[in-house]
Amino acid sequence: MAEVKVKEIKTLNYARLAIQKGYANQTLYVDLSDSKISIKPVSEKMKEIFVGGKGFDLWLLWNAVQGHTRWSDPENALCIACGPLGGTPIYPGSGKSIVTSISPTTGSVMDSNVGGYFGPYLKFSGFDGLEIQGKTEVPTVILIDGISQQIRILEVTGLPEDAHAISEILTNHFGRGKPRNISVVSTGPGAKHTLIGCLNFSWYDQKRSRSRLKQAGRGGLGTVFADKGLKAIVARWDTVAVALNNPTDEAALKKVAKLHSQEIVEQDPKQNQMSNVGTAHLVTIMNDYDLLPTHNFRYGQHPQAPNVGMEVYRLLFDKGYDGCWIGCTLACSHGVKDFVPSTGPYKGRKVFVDGPEYETIAGCGSNLGIFDPFHIVEMNFYCDTFGLDTISVGTSIAFAMECFEMGLINETHTGGMDLSFGNRVSTLELLHQMAKGEGFGKIVGQGVRRMKEVFSKAYGIDRAILEDIGMEAKGLEFSEYMSKESLAQQGGYGLALKGPQHDEAWLIFVDMVHNFMPTFEQKAEALHWFPLFRTWFGLCGLCKLPWNDIVPADNKLTKEPAKVMQHVQWYAEYFSAVTGRKIGPDDMITMSERVYNFQRIFNLKMGFGRREHDAIPYRAMGPVTVEEYESRADRYDQQMKDVYQVDIQGKDTAEKVKILRKLREERYDQLKDAVYGRRGWTKDGIPTLDTVRRLGIDFPEVLEVLKAHGVA
Amino acid sequence: MVRVDGREFFWREGMTVADLLKELGDPYPYAVVRISDRLISRSDFDKAPVPNDSEVFLIPLISGG
Repeated sequence: MAEVKVKEIKTLNYARLAIQKGYANQTLYVDLSDSKISIKPVSEKMKEIFVGGKGFDLWLLWNAVQGHTRWSDPENALCIACGPLGGTPIYPGSGKSIVTSISPTTGSVMDSNVGGYFGPYLKFSGFDGLEIQGKTEVPTVILIDGISQQIRILEVTGLPEDAHAISEILTNHFGRGKPRNISVVSTGPGAKHTLIGCLNFSWYDQKRSRSRLKQAGRGGLGTVFADKGLKAIVARWDTVAVALNNPTDEAALKKVAKLHSQEIVEQDPKQNQMSNVGTAHLVTIMNDYDLLPTHNFRYGQHPQAPNVGMEVYRLLFDKGYDGCWIGCTLACSHGVKDFVPSTGPYKGRKVFVDGPEYETIAGCGSNLGIFDPFHIVEMNFYCDTFGLDTISVGTSIAFAMECFEMGLINETHTGGMDLSFGNRVSTLELLHQMAKGEGFGKIVGQGVRRMKEVFSKAYGIDRAILEDIGMEAKGLEFSEYMSKESLAQQGGYGLALKGPQHDEAWLIFVDMVHNFMPTFEQKAEALHWFPLFRTWFGLCGLCKLPWNDIVPADNKLTKEPAKVMQHVQWYAEYFSAVTGRKIGPDDMITMSERVYNFQRIFNLKMGFGRREHDAIPYRAMGPVTVEEYESRADRYDQQMKDVYQVDIQGKDTAEKVKILRKLREERYDQLKDAVYGRRGWTKDGIPTLDTVRRLGIDFPEVLEVLKAHGVA
Repeated sequence: MVRVDGREFFWREGMTVADLLKELGDPYPYAVVRISDRLISRSDFDKAPVPNDSEVFLIPLISGG
């Protein structure tokens, strides 16, 4: 490895302000083009309207970009923020960072949340958010040193390309013997050669003496990072304590934190065992309910799914504490120790792999027709170290594989690769090609939307079938749940602001399995409340898992068990105790509603955000092919008769596929009307003037965007 | 004897998860139960045996995402 050399480009010395009621009350701005560093104040109005975290990110980004700004323009900003509750070491899940930027895959606003220590360290260093504009030709590291009270822009040569190695080297270099004081944000070589690059955020694992990685995966934020010329952003901070956030009522904070923390300790072993197996517990459950995507979302079940389920990963995960934030009792960031990859630059060398989590198991496993737990671990490792999003990698490869199986593409397109479902060798080869920007992997690495363009224009493939089976919406690849049989989840994916990612609305189980929302109105109401409540976590710097992955023992006796209202109440008390802003559950929804509607209008500013952009591929709604229909013929036939009152007597499968499609597409369209109405939007999916005024986001520039789109 | 969420219940030969849930009289629509470290979904409740001396957990499962 080349020697790492550090050269000073610019340094700003600053006087760190003490945190007040969870806020640093200023943000940090860096322009890479002219090495400018400045500090911007945070106003009371900004806190009132945007709260923090994603809200602050969006406001900074809104002011940084124009409607015509493209992801690769220097003016595109990469924003990272924590939130007023972020950095609390006694409340589970309080270490999230939220990243936003204009996405290479969607062309609009992307947000992605991630664990690790960076967000809290950034705040304790004196900044509620970080905004980076500009681009540079030199390999650049930004150091935010809260201990020395210096912001430094550094030219760092000799750094390796891979995320694990970058994190380790910079942690040792800047840690000065205290590696826990360091959190590194980095990506990898895949980010600059694809559009689906992720960001890796590190946290130092004391017990294992190594930097561990969490990912802000969605929407190509790593690609923006690499395109700006960044090698890493490093935050340096010292000991973390409750008092650092200077909460308004520390006693009240400690009381509610203890309640939630202890409940997790008591209930997790009886419920999902997150601290032992993380989200891997979902694999076999999803499979049993026909919800685990297999073979590019064709089916939701496979007999080999238990091979990649919880019982297997329980044996593979290295035992020990796996909290990606200090003091989190959920501690679900499990990993595999001493894994030996069979391919690529780490072939034959022992590595530590952070994961896999459910999404990676489904995306890089079952959805590719692969049920080998070690293959998934290897895909997971290389995605992380190459800086690639496991979800987009999985869904993109799955699409290419189905095109191959259908004969739409062949070896002449793939460079001789057999891309049949289940081909482990080819999927790993594709991944290595993505990292190098070579071969067919270079095309797959552009994501599903651009693959559809290439396949139809360059290869002459019928666009209609590509649109039906290419699992993207708004340009973002679907995350890993089958939504065919859940109208609410179709809405959860299709109406999500950034594209089909489940963090906004995961309603599949409560809708399809529990049937908690049988009516159309209930589904629309759920698609109002749940996205807004989930948005609130991103405003505050919190992880959503402690909300509903472990629930109170008596939660089932409550009126609306899916909302876990005891926890909602605790979060309201938590926010009130830190910020001094007294809120209840309804206020939390209003806080989110402001930011949510602002983001919708931000999409509009970027040329998206209308009804037409909420379309989803038919594969997400129902069976595209005769084969899919016939695999679950009893279900579909019964539904045609009982739900839609269709006489199917004498009709062949192709006819039934066509009829069902029309009915389901109409139903999804009706859902849009109902949800838009509930959200206070026009029929075209645009927030009305009444809505923006009610929420207090009727700024002149917002009204201008609305007016330009016929809302005045 | 079978322990369900910490409470003890009599076990009998051939007892299935469905039998156990019936005896519990709990109206909540459980989708999944766990016997020791093994997850069992609703479709298998009526054929999944509950071994004697096992620990059974009723999983609320509204989580995910």
